Amino acid sequence: MKIDVTINGRERSFDVPPNTLLLNLLRERLDLTGSKYGCGIGECGACTLLLDGEPVLGCMTLAVDCDGRTVETIEGLGDGDGLHPIQEAYLEEGAVQCGFCTPGFIMTTKALLEEEPNPSEAEIREYLKGNVCRCTGYVNIVAAVQSAAGKMR
Amino acid sequence: MSSKPAFKVLGRDTQRQDGVAKVTGREKFASDLSLPNMLHARVLKSPYAHAKVKRIDVSAISDPTVVTLTPDEVPDARFCPRLMSTPEATYKDWTVLTSKPRYVGETIAAVAAESEEAAQRALESLVVEYEEFTAVFDALGSMEPGVEPIHDYIELDEETLKVESNIACHLEIEEGDTEEGFRQADHVVERTYRTNRRYHTQLETKSVLVRPEPNGGVTVWSTTQTLHNTRILLHEIFGIPMGKIRVMKVPIGGSFGSSIQVNPVVPIAVALALKARRPVKLSYTREEDLHDHCSYQMIFKLKLGADREGKLTAGHLDAWLDIGAHQIQAYPLLGCVVGWWVSLYKLPAKSYVGKAVYTNKVPSCAFRGYGNPQITWAVETLMDELAEKVGVDPLDFRFMNYIGEGDLFWGQGPSVKSVIHSCGVEEILTKGAEMSDWYNRPRAETQTGRHRRGWGMGRGYHTSSAGAPVPGTVIDFGGAMLKLNEDGTFDYVSALMDHGGGTLDANAKIIAEELEIPHHKVNIVRADTGTTVYDVCTHASRGIYSGGGAALKVAAQVKQKIREQAGNLLDAYPNALKFRYDQQREQAVVYAEGIEGREITYKELAYTMRNKNLGTIAAVDSYRQPSCPPHFTGYFIEVDVDTWTGKVRPLRVIAGADIGTVINPKLAKGQIHGGLAQGWSMTVNEDTPYDPTSGDLWNRGFISDYKVPTSMDLPSLEAFTVFFADTYEPTGPFGAKGIGEGALNPVAGAVANAIQNALGVRFYELPITKDRILEALKRKEVEA
Ligand code: FES
Ligand code: FES
Repeated sequence: MKIDVTINGRERSFDVPPNTLLLNLLRERLDLTGSKYGCGIGECGACTLLLDGEPVLGCMTLAVDCDGRTVETIEGLGDGDGLHPIQEAYLEEGAVQCGFCTPGFIMTTKALLEEEPNPSEAEIREYLKGNVCRCTGYVNIVAAVQSAAGKMR
Repeated sequence: MSSKPAFKVLGRDTQRQDGVAKVTGREKFASDLSLPNMLHARVLKSPYAHAKVKRIDVSAISDPTVVTLTPDEVPDARFCPRLMSTPEATYKDWTVLTSKPRYVGETIAAVAAESEEAAQRALESLVVEYEEFTAVFDALGSMEPGVEPIHDYIELDEETLKVESNIACHLEIEEGDTEEGFRQADHVVERTYRTNRRYHTQLETKSVLVRPEPNGGVTVWSTTQTLHNTRILLHEIFGIPMGKIRVMKVPIGGSFGSSIQVNPVVPIAVALALKARRPVKLSYTREEDLHDHCSYQMIFKLKLGADREGKLTAGHLDAWLDIGAHQIQAYPLLGCVVGWWVSLYKLPAKSYVGKAVYTNKVPSCAFRGYGNPQITWAVETLMDELAEKVGVDPLDFRFMNYIGEGDLFWGQGPSVKSVIHSCGVEEILTKGAEMSDWYNRPRAETQTGRHRRGWGMGRGYHTSSAGAPVPGTVIDFGGAMLKLNEDGTFDYVSALMDHGGGTLDANAKIIAEELEIPHHKVNIVRADTGTTVYDVCTHASRGIYSGGGAALKVAAQVKQKIREQAGNLLDAYPNALKFRYDQQREQAVVYAEGIEGREITYKELAYTMRNKNLGTIAAVDSYRQPSCPPHFTGYFIEVDVDTWTGKVRPLRVIAGADIGTVINPKLAKGQIHGGLAQGWSMTVNEDTPYDPTSGDLWNRGFISDYKVPTSMDLPSLEAFTVFFADTYEPTGPFGAKGIGEGALNPVAGAVANAIQNALGVRFYELPITKDRILEALKRKEVEA
């Protein structure tokens, strides 16, 4: 099936089998491997990206459902050399250990801060609960979201 | 209190060098890699827990381009995938593929095809005939007479061993007269404990990419904690000369011990790539990964005696380790379990009988702490009970008996003994008690109502490496290379892996401290087996103590060479030269104090040497650390138990750690945060039980059914305090020790003791689930 998708600001056309997952399209066809495979079945959040600004799981989204829509991945964040404030905050707060969960968390954070620029700690924890991190115990991640919120205000 | 030198680089937070790659999604993990013309592999996993493969028929695969691999096409050498012990302690019972699967999920055959989908279709066309055997899922049951043997023969140091009663290996130790010790005791408590079988849930599943090379060799990118042992093992299995095997360093998406051994995907992909003569990628699905590794489930019968003052007199431990279907490191673990146990508290007399037992389950491997969290949970639980009997506060009881400075320590087992030279136990326990108002905590049994609160404490440690003054059965040394670049920066090249804790950055900072430059001037090079000297593995919390020790060793050598070369060029005595960093020039300067004009920057030195053909200043060396210093930790945890639902919530966590010199405060705290999270869910959530009928995991490979903690399950930022003791390890690089595993080890004991404090009920089996809590409360009600 032919689809047109705007990916990180660039319009692209693909011809894909209908069962192609968005995650595989990005990773295999475009080498956009920032969205990670952690489980493939919606359990870990490592593949979180934004579809028309809403956080979705790349492993649970069919590429054909993205026809005519806008996809933003971790690779689309920041501008060239500069980091996005969320990315900066994650680094400054020590929220990145192995880093495998990080892109998913950063994209979820972006969605959260767009919805709610001043989230409470409880709201942050609630919003992030679908993203699994096995390294950090979420402490520095929550702190990074708070700091990013401050930077973006 | 220590007399620490003032540091310029250490102790300050710095941005990790791989940070930008990690937050921009540009970091490539093994599972992200691909090569042109690459094939995708899938593996056939046994649906039976114990069977023999009578026949594999590949003829139904319609796609002629598919490459298949069956057990008779791989070398039949038996091996042990984990190479950290000397040959006399390395039991071998693995093959690349098996025709006698011993657990559901063991790999029997593999295919490689143009796409993952094509590979999966080919896999589904394989016809396999099995003969099923009875399987056993319980370690104690497995040793019963008449139980189907899981392995007939295994190998140890070229010898063939017959396996009796499914016991993989055993170890007995006695020191002092235990019987007499118990006779002297006024109070003795003996309990049986059973731990859970946890899955690492490292976020990246086990993955590998292999490229066959025209010279007959292979290049390998894999999820691993050890580049060099991967190369050695591939050499031993396939006979490829080592120089033709290149194992490349790629970042790893979490490991927690699960890639100490060479992951089974690696030799399979190598065999496929050699057969196909094309690059092959094999990346496990999460379901497959859950059928690949887990922690050791342990059963302990632990007995401790104390006199009426509260001094321990003797201890005995029987340990049965359920190792699953293969040995990864069962024998060294038997040594560590006793080592962890006897190095917690002073036992004038002690005896130990440890058995590692095969079962038809997923093979167990190291999981952060390597048995230490398990035995520390049992010991810390029993210490509370015994303190109660003696009539002293459990914290005072620990003060009276802990092993600390000047004491002999053999956490890493009986062949790794050294003396403790730095100890922050007193500081951790004293501060923790103050902050938690420990002595005024509620007493067990005094609370009523739906929600009950309790405080518990647990203490412990882990080693920093497995070093010692004399060799034992554990191999532990590393190495590094350092060279001065023409712009005054340095390249730091090491085979050491960073699991995410910032180990390599810490070591770069150690180099920077020695060479009087900022951290960013030390470039961490991602190297491979061909360009690095041997490093055993990043495990045993050795990255900073041992890896940093190697980094400091080469940095000191480089510094000496800088002195000599600068001395020549400046016409000054090398040993009189001094070093400082010039912020304006952004260069380190070597100078003769008080003599004008006698100075040269690193950049000028390197360029001058280049222009005069004097060579590169560089050093490469191996380093064996002289000791095995424990890093001590202690947790004070307050919980809330909902007696209606059985749910336990953390209310407050106070964690103290003695890690010597703190190099990266935020990242070091991050280790404690992660350790608390893993220990918390080890205590109340995690397990991988088996369905005895199908022989498969009840959760079938779903992480939602495995329950790792989410951001909702852990204490709020304000409720979680971490502090570091003020210590300096004299044998460590600039006084530093490890942190990774000690961060986890005492958590389960502290949480379990807090639950007891809230409810007045003790639990002897992990995890302490809601169901178990409700059951225990009901039992208590009936008894009352
Ligand atoms: S990979 Fe999509 S949720 Fe885990
Ligand atoms: S940083 Fe490793 S899983 Fe989150």
